[in-house]
Amino acid sequence: MGDMLAGRVAVVTGGGRGIGRGVARALAAAGAKVVVNDYGVAVDGRAPSSGPAFDVVAEIERDGGEAVAVADWEGAGRIVDTARSRFGRIDILVTCAGILRDRMVFNMSEEEWDAVLAVHLKGTFACVRHACTHMREQRWGRIITFSSGSGLFGNPGQANYGAAKSAIGGLTKVAARDLGKYGVTVNAICPVAGTRMTVNEEVRRAREVRKERGIQREDRGVAQIEELDPDDVAPMVVFLASEHARGVNGQFFLCFGSTVALVSQPRPVKALYKADGNWTLDELDRLAPTTVLEGLVNPAPPKEA
Amino acid sequence: MGRLDGKAAVVTGAGRGIGRAIAELLAAEGAAVVVNDVGSEVDGRGAGTSVADEVVAAIRERGGRAVASHESVADYAAAERIVATAVREFGAIDVLVNNAGILRDRMLFNMSEEEWDAVIAVHLKGTFNCTRHAAVQMRQQRRGRIISISSTSGVYGNSGQANYGAAKDGIAGFTRVVSRDLGRYGITVNAVCPGALTRMSQTVPQSARRTRNERGLETGFEERGFPLRNFGPENVAPWVVHLATDAAQNVNGQTFLVMAGLVALLGYPAPVRTIQKDGRWTPEEIATIFPHTLGMDLANPAPPERTR
Repeated sequence: MGDMLAGRVAVVTGGGRGIGRGVARALAAAGAKVVVNDYGVAVDGRAPSSGPAFDVVAEIERDGGEAVAVADWEGAGRIVDTARSRFGRIDILVTCAGILRDRMVFNMSEEEWDAVLAVHLKGTFACVRHACTHMREQRWGRIITFSSGSGLFGNPGQANYGAAKSAIGGLTKVAARDLGKYGVTVNAICPVAGTRMTVNEEVRRAREVRKERGIQREDRGVAQIEELDPDDVAPMVVFLASEHARGVNGQFFLCFGSTVALVSQPRPVKALYKADGNWTLDELDRLAPTTVLEGLVNPAPPKEA
Repeated sequence: MGRLDGKAAVVTGAGRGIGRAIAELLAAEGAAVVVNDVGSEVDGRGAGTSVADEVVAAIRERGGRAVASHESVADYAAAERIVATAVREFGAIDVLVNNAGILRDRMLFNMSEEEWDAVIAVHLKGTFNCTRHAAVQMRQQRRGRIISISSTSGVYGNSGQANYGAAKDGIAGFTRVVSRDLGRYGITVNAVCPGALTRMSQTVPQSARRTRNERGLETGFEERGFPLRNFGPENVAPWVVHLATDAAQNVNGQTFLVMAGLVALLGYPAPVRTIQKDGRWTPEEIATIFPHTLGMDLANPAPPERTR
């Protein structure tokens, strides 16, 4: 057992499988007591079971764990309460819980949108909201959210997931500013790993269709996803949860395999300025193509008629 | 001849502020416009038909074409009717501007579930709802322009706006995804982060701005020392309309910052510093090299208060 997180109490949502399981076990291995939360559902959010959370708890030898649902407000409150009643406090919150319902936007149903937004975005907010009041009082806390390259870089077929994951990014940036002064840090991980969520027949088919149609997907040099072990994401999470990372706040880290990368935030890279503020369309027509719009590539160019 | 003669547009939240300026400029360029606004207060409460009707009257007075819509974008079925209004009245939907939004600022540790839900529903779900229904029609037409209003609140991070910031950064991510879903059908999807003095931005109290400054908290553009002049909402409209014209037909999946005469392209998030090793990292190894690599010169946007 390491001692980097000795005496700390952590909650991991979606800790029953995949990346969350690796995080829960690594936090425990670093000395933290861990509440493993997992609704035990299929990738699409259906068919809950308590198995995965209890399996991981059993795997974490010395440390106890409990499972509660995450998608509703009371559930998030209960998860945080479990940490406090069982272990006396909550120091670390890692929000991995998420589901997937991919569909091109013009075919996406309201239910597919709502289900994905509920678990990822509302679930993250609900847990962060309940945990942060305690962290603020104790003047110490570590919140590590899970965003995704899907929204940051733009993955076709994931309007719901990409929006939710980007919104978690926005929440992370604001939370870092709301909570930083109380000794709480809030950072986001954008993981890439081969899990039951990312390695399946549907994903393989989608990849082939994109290639066929010339639609860009910003994989950013990531290796074949099948080869990326989900347990590789955990060490960076443990570091961010530790005292070593006390000054790291409001940042995004892309994690896959043995790679950890700091992700830049959108900033103005080319700008046009007119002092009196009031652009005419003639001026924009004349100036934009050789300034702010120069060199832009359409990531999904129109099919030739 | 206007740049948008014969085109049909829908602008949500077009009764006031930035949305109204966009609707009026689209109409001045020849587009027929569905002026959608529920006529609520900034916090989303209340409703009324007069604000949308007024904008329609103003456009018609200048010889333009417009119809009013008073339905809420937050309602999936109502959003379908908003889009259908354009198709029924004007025969198509060529331009959709997702502008409707509300504000319920609160520090995260005090924010209620209701404050969270209300803001996410109008901004994020509302943008999905209208885009989803417009996309079906635009895909059949093999042309369309979708411009969604995002915000530096989410893209940069504004203290006290967890709900709004999440919704607005969500819209930026949604834009990047949907541009890839729709580009091949001749549709472009872009986002604009505006800065303007409107009824909405004036609800952020001066005292809050002062407090943030004193505490050294990073916040939005006003507090970053950008001189407060020419912040009229009419200064956001030209770039939005530019994105709707033929001149921008190949601009897709981008986010722009537009305020007071500034038009800036925002870069995509990207990995900028990388560490790698042969095999899995240990947390201790990361702790050792992080300060000299990924963490070098990283600023904490809200450093802890000194303990007494």
